Amino acid sequence: MKRILATLASVAALGLSAFPAGAQNYPERAISIVVPFSAGGPTDTVTRLIAEPMAKSLGAEIVVQNVTGAGGTVAAGQVAKAEPDGYTILMHHIGMSTAPTLYKNLPYKPLEDFAAIGLVTEVPMTIIGRKDLAPATLQELIDYVKTNKDKVTYANAGIGAASHLCGMLFMEAVGTQVTTVPYKGTGPALTDLVGGQVDFMCDQTTNTTGQIKSGQVKAYAVTTGERLASLPDLPTTKEGGLDMQVSVWHALYAPAGTPEDVVKKLSTALQSALKDQKVIDRFAELGTTPVAQDRATPAAHTEMLASQIKLWKPIIEAAGVAAQ
Amino acid sequence: MDLIANLGVGFEIALTPVNILYCFVGVLLGTLVGVLPGIGPTGTVAILLPITFTFEPVTALIMLAGIYYGAQYGGSTSAILINLPGESSSAITAIDGHQMARQGRAGPALATAALGSFFAGSVATLLLAIAAPPLARVALKFGSAEYFSLIVLGLIASVALAHGSIIKALGMIVLGLLLGTVGQDLYSGQPRFTFGFFELYSGINFVSVAVGVFGVAEILRNLEDEKTRTLLVKKVENLWLTKDDFRRSVNPVLRGTALGSLLGVLPGGGHVLAAFASYSLEKKISRNEAEFGRGAIEGVAAPESANNAAAQTSFIPLLTLGIPAHPVMALMIGAFIIHGITPGPNVMTDEPALFWGLIVSMWIGNLLLVLLNLPLIGLWVKLLTIPYRVLFPAIIAFACIGTYSIGLNAFDIYAIAVLGLIGYVLVKLDCEPAPLLLGFVLGPLLEEHLRRAMIISRGDPMTFLERPISAGLLAFAALAIVLSLLPAIRKRREEVFSEED
Amino acid sequence: MTAQKSLKDLLTGLIFIGFGLAFGYAALSYETGTALRMGPGYFPLILAGIIIVLGVATLLQSASGPDKTPIGRAPWLALALILGGLAFFGLTVRGLGLAPALFVSTFLSAFASERTGVGGALVMAAGLVLISMLIFVWALGLPLRIFGPWLPL
Repeated sequence: MKRILATLASVAALGLSAFPAGAQNYPERAISIVVPFSAGGPTDTVTRLIAEPMAKSLGAEIVVQNVTGAGGTVAAGQVAKAEPDGYTILMHHIGMSTAPTLYKNLPYKPLEDFAAIGLVTEVPMTIIGRKDLAPATLQELIDYVKTNKDKVTYANAGIGAASHLCGMLFMEAVGTQVTTVPYKGTGPALTDLVGGQVDFMCDQTTNTTGQIKSGQVKAYAVTTGERLASLPDLPTTKEGGLDMQVSVWHALYAPAGTPEDVVKKLSTALQSALKDQKVIDRFAELGTTPVAQDRATPAAHTEMLASQIKLWKPIIEAAGVAAQ
Repeated sequence: MDLIANLGVGFEIALTPVNILYCFVGVLLGTLVGVLPGIGPTGTVAILLPITFTFEPVTALIMLAGIYYGAQYGGSTSAILINLPGESSSAITAIDGHQMARQGRAGPALATAALGSFFAGSVATLLLAIAAPPLARVALKFGSAEYFSLIVLGLIASVALAHGSIIKALGMIVLGLLLGTVGQDLYSGQPRFTFGFFELYSGINFVSVAVGVFGVAEILRNLEDEKTRTLLVKKVENLWLTKDDFRRSVNPVLRGTALGSLLGVLPGGGHVLAAFASYSLEKKISRNEAEFGRGAIEGVAAPESANNAAAQTSFIPLLTLGIPAHPVMALMIGAFIIHGITPGPNVMTDEPALFWGLIVSMWIGNLLLVLLNLPLIGLWVKLLTIPYRVLFPAIIAFACIGTYSIGLNAFDIYAIAVLGLIGYVLVKLDCEPAPLLLGFVLGPLLEEHLRRAMIISRGDPMTFLERPISAGLLAFAALAIVLSLLPAIRKRREEVFSEED
Repeated sequence: MTAQKSLKDLLTGLIFIGFGLAFGYAALSYETGTALRMGPGYFPLILAGIIIVLGVATLLQSASGPDKTPIGRAPWLALALILGGLAFFGLTVRGLGLAPALFVSTFLSAFASERTGVGGALVMAAGLVLISMLIFVWALGLPLRIFGPWLPL
């Protein structure tokens, strides 16, 4: 069934390529941004925030579609096979670089099947614990984890989730493996952390800032090089003596084969959206900033994606995780 | 008193013309998407989210919340009229509600559902205003061990859903549990029963199962004897409740409201269990137990009150802890963030106008819903006079679009076809679809919590008995088994004695 | 088989056992783990066992007497048309777009009724496509393409 579909689709694609759509006139109709996660999540929020100014500068409507499933690979697979005309593009996050290692039979190749449009933002992560967890500082937490490694539990939001990746990095940096408790998404994981059922986790500021500010969880560190404006009292991992830095980046992709000038138009629209004051303000509330203009380009992000894939491969393999 | 002052602030916000208007728009849209099979509140809220960017935050949230609980009202309408539950919680309403419709009593069924929902919604909203923080603290005491025990209790109680063979009902529950395991295993990442399709990694969609085993199976059954049976529904008798209907509904509504309000607070499955639990309870304590499954009005009143009460109290974790209990609330968190409000416990103190305005708007929304739905009953009942040969292609068309729009995943459509076939064959063999749906909804939760409880307890099964809430729930489950076996034992002894005579 | 047996129970039992064997067989290839540290195969394997036991119990129950109501005939053509219509929609909605895919599948479904002829089914399909466009695309604003890339439009 799948093969018939693929054949039909490629026949149709051939038929269409006989009449190349003029990139000069792009965009002539609504553009779909496919978001690989459910609506309301951090990736979806980031997408919807930049979609509005991008639509304005492109002069076309932008529709956000949530195609969920299999850690974002279903959506990426769909966009990889979509017509490369610039009307179907993909927003994806750090999972773009971990999927090739996590999923053995991935139906697409991140570097070959996509043309990068540009990096959008990097969301910092925070290491947080239940509010009655004994250690008060990151250094104490590290010692605590080392001495109680048979007792401590680490929560994550499922295989391949940002919280899962951050946990792997943390355990590698500390040099101790602790029991990992997976959840279906950040919501339930945070609930159990607030309720004291598990000990600690690491997640994006988008999800944790409210809980930290209200004192429902204990915050240990932020995983970026510098402190955050939204949580100025929270030390960085480096200050706490831990050699690890990670942030959840989000980027836009078009299917490979999309005309270069179409990708360029999209990239230019992205760059101007990142200068939009409303976007900057909202990103600040999420504890993040739009990336610098020179990183929101196809070339810069292609390079970044390649190095990210290389970075995560050994870490995931060492943790012995594979979703097949 | 603080509460009065707070509610005063709330009314001030909620009663501005703009907010009333958008509250109405929300509940109207919610009713519409609830009635249409397939498309549900989650999809609708996702689509409308960007539109709300231009609104005041409180207006946006009032409308989004309205869509959510409005859909609970609408979902029961399609469950009663065409035996197609829109949300997991209205699957139970379909059992007796649709039988009532077939007997020409769609009017009273819809009226009971609307009035019961309104009462339950009002009580639950008041509860939300008075006791949100303490209830949230109780909800936090629920870890995986407690959820596991709660689900076990729910499954055992659900045998009461059956009105035929108990063994077949159990088989359908287990089949539902098995179907629920399709997809990627949460703990190991191992894909199970996916035949290598990435599209199946996230499992079978609930809507596909509901549309398949309820909708398609029902259509096929109706097409069996088209020539001999011309009218699907007996002549519509009356649109309103009789005195007897009213009398029989009062207590189930009260009990359903209580059960729903409490279970709704639990994030993760509470609102699903509420409807099932209240139905089982009514059937157990009812004097006319035999009528359940054949159009008992209690079987509509109780679960409808329970699911609407739960719909309101499921906002408690969201508003007091910033934790979403339902995908719609995850979207509302997105709405909070986009409007520059950090979701979490601070909302209540930092944004009192928003917090109380939203709560009061829920009560107003419930009032609007009952005002909207009662006059609509006549219209809905007329829908039943549309010839079936026109109605069923429409059901299929709407179900296709609705289901596809959720995740743009063609496999959700194939799943309808496959489950429709399985459902049809099994229904033809006197198996009931409701237990299957219950198993399907609760199965993944059961496995998830069982395995997580074991991981957290380091493989010590005593955790289920050492934790007081969990132990209490399991004791209830054991009691339920004993109680359900007692009549059977007594009956057998009577039979033995009568043979000796 | 004698007329004293319940055919419905017999078939139900066989179906339950069939599902149990199919799921159980597939689950064998997944790691079972131990009761204390369950693997992905553990839970499905237990369920498969339970449903097989229930299937056997239903088989035994079938001996208790004949069915009160017969199974009756199945609307084979309607079944094929409706399921075929659903499959067609799933296969083509991306390629052909919403309107053409929906038109064909509602035509097939409508034709499944013995009381509807080709003409009636065409009219109904056209009407339903129109109504659906109004409700879902225009009023609710679903982000679905009305005509897909397979069509030269």
